[in-house]
Amino acid sequence: MKEFIDLISNNALMANPESAIIITIIAGIILFIIPDKASLAKGILALAVAVIAGVLTAGIYTSGPQKFVPEVWEIGRYLSLRIDNLSRLVLMFISLFSILILLYSIVYMKGKKIRNYYSWILVTMGCSYGAVAADNLLLFLAFWGILGITLYKLIQGGDEDSSATAKKTLIMIGASDSIMIIGIAIVWKITDTLNMSEISLSTGNALTVTAFLALLVGSFTKAGAFPFHTWVPDYAKDAPASSSAFLPASLDKLLGIYFLARIINGMFIPGEWMTLILLLIAVITIITAVMMALFQHNYKQLLGYHAVSQVGYMILGLSLGSVIGIAAGLFHMVNNAIYKSGLFLSAGSIEYRTGKNDIDDLGGLSKAMPVTFIAALIFAMSISGIPPLNGFASKWMIYQAIIDFGGETGIPNKLWVIWLGLAVFGSALTLASFIKFIGGVFLSRRRAELADVKEVPWSMWIPVALLALLCIILGVFATNEVVPRLFMPVTGEFEFSGYWNSGLVSILVLVSIVAGIIIYLVSDIKKFRTSDSFIGGEKFHDLAGYPTPEFYRTFMEFRFLSVLYRRAKEKWFDIYELSKEAVLWCSHGLSIAHTGVLSGYIIWIFAGLIIMLLIMI
Amino acid sequence: MAVYLFYFLVFPGLLFAAVTGGFLSWFDRKITARVQFRKGPPLLQPFYDFFKLLLVKETILPKQGSPVVFLMAPVFAVFGATMAGVFILLPLFNITTGFRGDLLVIFYLLTIPSFSYVLGAVASGNPLASVGASREMKLILSYELTFFLVIAGIIVKASQNFDLYSIIQLQKDGAPFLGSISGILLFIAGIFCIQAKLGLVPFDMAEAETELSEGSFIEYSGPPYALIKLTKYIMLLILPCFLVALLMKGFNLRGINILWAFLKVAGVVLLLTLIRNTNPRIKIRQAISFFMIWMNLIAIAAIVLAFFGL
Repeated sequence: MKEFIDLISNNALMANPESAIIITIIAGIILFIIPDKASLAKGILALAVAVIAGVLTAGIYTSGPQKFVPEVWEIGRYLSLRIDNLSRLVLMFISLFSILILLYSIVYMKGKKIRNYYSWILVTMGCSYGAVAADNLLLFLAFWGILGITLYKLIQGGDEDSSATAKKTLIMIGASDSIMIIGIAIVWKITDTLNMSEISLSTGNALTVTAFLALLVGSFTKAGAFPFHTWVPDYAKDAPASSSAFLPASLDKLLGIYFLARIINGMFIPGEWMTLILLLIAVITIITAVMMALFQHNYKQLLGYHAVSQVGYMILGLSLGSVIGIAAGLFHMVNNAIYKSGLFLSAGSIEYRTGKNDIDDLGGLSKAMPVTFIAALIFAMSISGIPPLNGFASKWMIYQAIIDFGGETGIPNKLWVIWLGLAVFGSALTLASFIKFIGGVFLSRRRAELADVKEVPWSMWIPVALLALLCIILGVFATNEVVPRLFMPVTGEFEFSGYWNSGLVSILVLVSIVAGIIIYLVSDIKKFRTSDSFIGGEKFHDLAGYPTPEFYRTFMEFRFLSVLYRRAKEKWFDIYELSKEAVLWCSHGLSIAHTGVLSGYIIWIFAGLIIMLLIMI
Repeated sequence: MAVYLFYFLVFPGLLFAAVTGGFLSWFDRKITARVQFRKGPPLLQPFYDFFKLLLVKETILPKQGSPVVFLMAPVFAVFGATMAGVFILLPLFNITTGFRGDLLVIFYLLTIPSFSYVLGAVASGNPLASVGASREMKLILSYELTFFLVIAGIIVKASQNFDLYSIIQLQKDGAPFLGSISGILLFIAGIFCIQAKLGLVPFDMAEAETELSEGSFIEYSGPPYALIKLTKYIMLLILPCFLVALLMKGFNLRGINILWAFLKVAGVVLLLTLIRNTNPRIKIRQAISFFMIWMNLIAIAAIVLAFFGL
């Protein structure tokens, strides 16, 4: 394998981004021709293409930064690609997630009726490569736009709910893309160039601020940050779990945050007020999304809200602007993509075996699905920031970056306690809602109808187990290996201001586990006996129980919170519903003019004509 | 490596913290007994309890749920408490090593015991344990922000330093942080957070002997329960020590000052014991509003005062 990578990386023809983009997109288009009946063959073919592209991106990673401007007539300069330390890292992770999720999909997607699933996955992959490698903003926009369509196509549009979600997703992503076009136009007007690497604007006047905010909308909608996040939970609920793991959980995060890093740490230099806005959006995203997650009964939607809330941490890290903050944000982006896609895949496995979507209908699956359970437990602990897993490592870096940030002068700096306090509180809330997920699905009492649930086939649990292993590895080697090797080349060298030796602590975790097992073995194992729950001498009834989804009902008793939740349920805070209302209201005004009387219409036409003529003269 | 294992397992880690914590637990029980006009247990009673559970009592595993998680949860609880203890106690005893007490790390390690209790309770499949787990988790949510604000207040006072070595050193060079208005406010908020973290009355609703018969721990018996007891002993030592390090200048281990160091910790434990003996158990809803509104207000006021150097 190593020789193969070396061979390809030495070959200048192959180890470049354009071949990876072209191979995957063309393979995706070819797969359209093969009928969906041969879905197994299509899946294996797609996986093979993804592996080839993965080897190519690994080659790109090892061969370092490069620039590419095709010399094709005049349009060559619009097709310029650039690979720097950031994009080669993101490219590699795009390949990693695509390969794992394609492997998972081969069995998972068998019964599902999504047309041309594998074709769309490959096209998504190719366009993601394109968007990350593009230096020219127009080329970037083209790839970015296609990604919106593939996102739409990867939802199963069968029933009413999922069709509505697909429409919502398409409209929100499309609208944000058009706002982005305005931003790019302004940038082009000011700087006279479309190459990202040549742009450096400060947010001093109204025009640059508009451009900055317009581009932010694009990045925030893709990544799913407040207030443009509302498509993510719906998508998670209605799309197949593998699609959710592929797009909103991993690739869209990588792309959205990649673009955010480009905007705020390359193309623009955000001023004090812009930093304040970014930090505010970050903490609002963290808290609101996780508060919603706390009360979900549908476990896929619960994960969808977490996919939103974690974005807040990345924005927090990136908008601090310090070297360690940027590295922390990017590290958290990678970590989040790992555990969140793992969680969605685990959710898919649960759904595959039980066919249920509600935590209320599940319970006690830990013995039936041991691999899925242990992996899900690792993901859950990682996302809640339990040391020494990877989620803790990146959060710890973000926190110390905030403390350092607080030492400088400026308005956002003086408010550091707010950013830090809410980020830490968000992580406690995350822990709480994952207790609900893990407890409700895997622990607690097993239901009678789930008695014959089995572990999923190997091609489904292997990707999940690999992702769980990655969570551990990235956590254990975080401070010594991962951050210096993967992220310091992107941001530059820095020193941690805190003290955390992840390797040493991990060894001590192992020591404790071994010691614990020894204690249990030594203390006379023969005396173990099993017995049903003791409930104070009462008889156990079938209905007796205290389901985990009801754990946090007490918070609803506070009037302030209950009002907020009721409003949120009525979609008062959903920007999609709000703008829908606004559009309908406007069109209602126009409909008054439609009387159906012919002479009325003629007067309108003439009046319009006269006004036009007057303006033109 | 061997020296780190020694720190972790013997001093100031597992063995030291457990033995000292055991004596503190006796102290707590003795004071409680005196308050209630009883004689109280003998000095070694906590250790009799521990070894009886570990060696003599049988272990009953739950038929429902997940026995593996049920058994491993106490092990993780001991790990979290011991690891946090090492990070807290090394700076206190002024042993300089690769471990520096990073407050963020300590904060996260200190949540592991409570998190493990919740996980173990849910894994037992018992509905009463479920009620306990739900209350424990809600309690964590309510005090976590306050506890972090207390730490943030200390960071403000220590001008953005967040390792225990520097914080203790800063107090030794100047005055202890407790000697200011903001310090006193932080101490008040901190004491109540510790009370809740230890699950002592008035915040013992997760265990509530009289209504839930030990709640979260109802299914535990034998060695796993011994490990939970061990965690409680360790926590009873390290949390007061943490407060001493943050606000009361830490320890000075020369000559007669050792007595002072001992008195500081014993004083904090005495305060905790007195609070628990003079208050009734409150409902979880009351605990949420107590921390979320009142304690957070106190902590924020302290941070604002600290910001202006008061």
